Amino acid sequence: MTTFITRRILQTLAVIVILSYVCYYLMSLMPGDPVDMMVASNPKITAEDVQRLKALYGLDQPVYKRFGNWVGSISQGDLGYSRTYRVPVQELMGPRLWNTFILSIASLTLSLLIAIPLGVISALKPGSRTDYVVNLFSFAGISIPSFWLAIVLIIIFAVKIPLLPAGGTQTIGGEPLGFWADLADRSVYLVLPVLSLSIQQIGRFSRFTRSAMLEAMRNDFIRTARAKGLSRSRVIWKHAFRNALIPLITILALSFSGLFSGAILTETVFAYQGVGKLVYDSIIQNDYNVAMISFVISVSMVLLMNLVADIAYGFADPRISYQ
Amino acid sequence: MSSNEIVMTNIELDENSLSAKDRAEIEKAQPMWKMVLTQFMDHKLAVAGAVIIAIFMFISIFANQIQSITGIDPDAQNVSNRYLSPWTTALAGPDVRETAVERFIMNNPEASDKVQKALIEKGLVAVAEADAIYELVATKEPAAVLADLKSLDIPDTKNLITSVKDFETFHFLGTDELGRDVFIRLVYGTRVSMGVGVLVAIASALIGLLIGSIAGFYGGWIDTVLMRITDALLSLPTIPVLIVMAAVDLSKFEWIRESKLITPSNESIIKMVIILCIFSWMTVARLVRGSILSIREREFVLAARTLGAGDGTIIVRHMFPNVIAPMLVSITLGVGESILFEAALSFLGLGIQPPTPSWGNMLNNAQELIYQAPFLAILPGILILLTTISFNYLGDGLQDAIDPKAIRR
Repeated sequence: MTTFITRRILQTLAVIVILSYVCYYLMSLMPGDPVDMMVASNPKITAEDVQRLKALYGLDQPVYKRFGNWVGSISQGDLGYSRTYRVPVQELMGPRLWNTFILSIASLTLSLLIAIPLGVISALKPGSRTDYVVNLFSFAGISIPSFWLAIVLIIIFAVKIPLLPAGGTQTIGGEPLGFWADLADRSVYLVLPVLSLSIQQIGRFSRFTRSAMLEAMRNDFIRTARAKGLSRSRVIWKHAFRNALIPLITILALSFSGLFSGAILTETVFAYQGVGKLVYDSIIQNDYNVAMISFVISVSMVLLMNLVADIAYGFADPRISYQ
Repeated sequence: MSSNEIVMTNIELDENSLSAKDRAEIEKAQPMWKMVLTQFMDHKLAVAGAVIIAIFMFISIFANQIQSITGIDPDAQNVSNRYLSPWTTALAGPDVRETAVERFIMNNPEASDKVQKALIEKGLVAVAEADAIYELVATKEPAAVLADLKSLDIPDTKNLITSVKDFETFHFLGTDELGRDVFIRLVYGTRVSMGVGVLVAIASALIGLLIGSIAGFYGGWIDTVLMRITDALLSLPTIPVLIVMAAVDLSKFEWIRESKLITPSNESIIKMVIILCIFSWMTVARLVRGSILSIREREFVLAARTLGAGDGTIIVRHMFPNVIAPMLVSITLGVGESILFEAALSFLGLGIQPPTPSWGNMLNNAQELIYQAPFLAILPGILILLTTISFNYLGDGLQDAIDPKAIRR
């Protein structure tokens, strides 16, 4: 078990390092570098100045050397400086990460709360009308482009019926009204993003719950439990559902990457100040330091969640052994 | 034993009650595809999906013909007719009409001379002779202009009449923020989006087939390395990685710039296909590896090897036919997914670059326009939804039909 965990951690670390190098390399291939941009807005600059600036920022060195320098300064706790926001990257990341975390957890909770009952209901009556409707709904959920759903939600709930704000994270310029009022204010801004992010997850989760539950209900021990005269709900939740949980954990773990991908789109549409929007904005604006850090953090988060899920299997199902 | 006997008698009874013709029908061996087809036809929604996909395929193949039937240019901008609602006719701006008349006068000086004289004589316009046609076109509706021109009965006005007819365009689905016709752009968008989706699905299936079969067949360290890479790619959050890759400037690669393969007009499409391929072969690879692992130890492979078949022959001739069916399902599901990713990236402005229309980049500006033209934001999304849902149902139906172990609904 310990060797398994150590090996998985080492693998994850290796993937993170390789990926950040690939990302660093790709960023060097993006149109324009920081010095080009400075030069573009300054007609008086000379070729020697450009050379000196490039040498100053280390841009004349090959990519792997620059990457080495970058990793070196990261390990000393210096994440660099954002060119667009004019603040150190550390200050930028904290609240953004927190916002994305709230958005993801809220949408994950909502989708699990809706999807699991839906999946279980349709698995208990396969072929029924309920099953058919749930199936149709989950297919639609998987197929719907989340960013488009977000736009449609804005059109309906912010333009046609002005109930909810069309975008943002919280009311700007308001006096702090105390904890509960702030919470209420923030949750109003969360409704639409969470909704648009959840639909796809609900579709996916309910389909998987359905098939896992169908599989579990076919086991012999279910018949035994029924024959013993156990109550229906006890058979379903204690015997069948617990066995359906293991494939669900897999899907839950894999869904983190989907959730994060979805968060980028959702945050962009709703101008929600999270890491996803930061990744997008910084890449569009060539803000390399921010782009690299937010990319590495988001990828690491997803990979770490996968690691946690792998370890969690062992506790969820004692039959799984790690060699 | 006793249960066996009961079954036997049952069958006998059944056979006795059947007519000779029915029995021949049942006993005739059914080819695989026919069985699959019968099962597939039972899944109503999958059939509906297949029909919708066929329609979209038809539209994307015959986009040029549709354009020539409607006679609307997808790139024709018309600033005075922005955000028209669906089902309206638009009049070309005064500058456009003036240029058309000018061109006519330049090309047919004699005919225009006659027309100008006739117009003044009949009292249809009351200006100087040189301005007669301009005045007619500027003040009257195209229909009235046509009627007037026909009433003159001058033979050489054909060119003028056709250009006057073009002044009035009918916009079935309205116009966008540059006054371009939404319908014809959606038609071309269908071609781009479906094209990218299908191309990516097929190409990534081939990559997956190659990698999966190598990993499954040879096993050992090759398998370990390939599967680690597959797992690592699978666990990545797709959109951030795609954004980073989509922002890459391909012309920074020397060899690509020199090969002249990439022109500004197709760069974004080629880039999109390559990037999406890199991130969508993994499911196929795992699937193929799994099937090949289970086939590898079967007798027919041993038999082929005994007969002296090489690795390549065994993989291609004996193993591929066994993995094609599940692959077909995964290609179908892959098309829907690729279309979604393409749409998402184009929506963010990193995918297919305008003026080439795709469903995703038609949504790109739509968000800022939800007050003026909510319709623009709705339509492309509905097409994306329809297509992906159709591909998903098609894949689901194929899976049920191909896999005999699948649960029948």
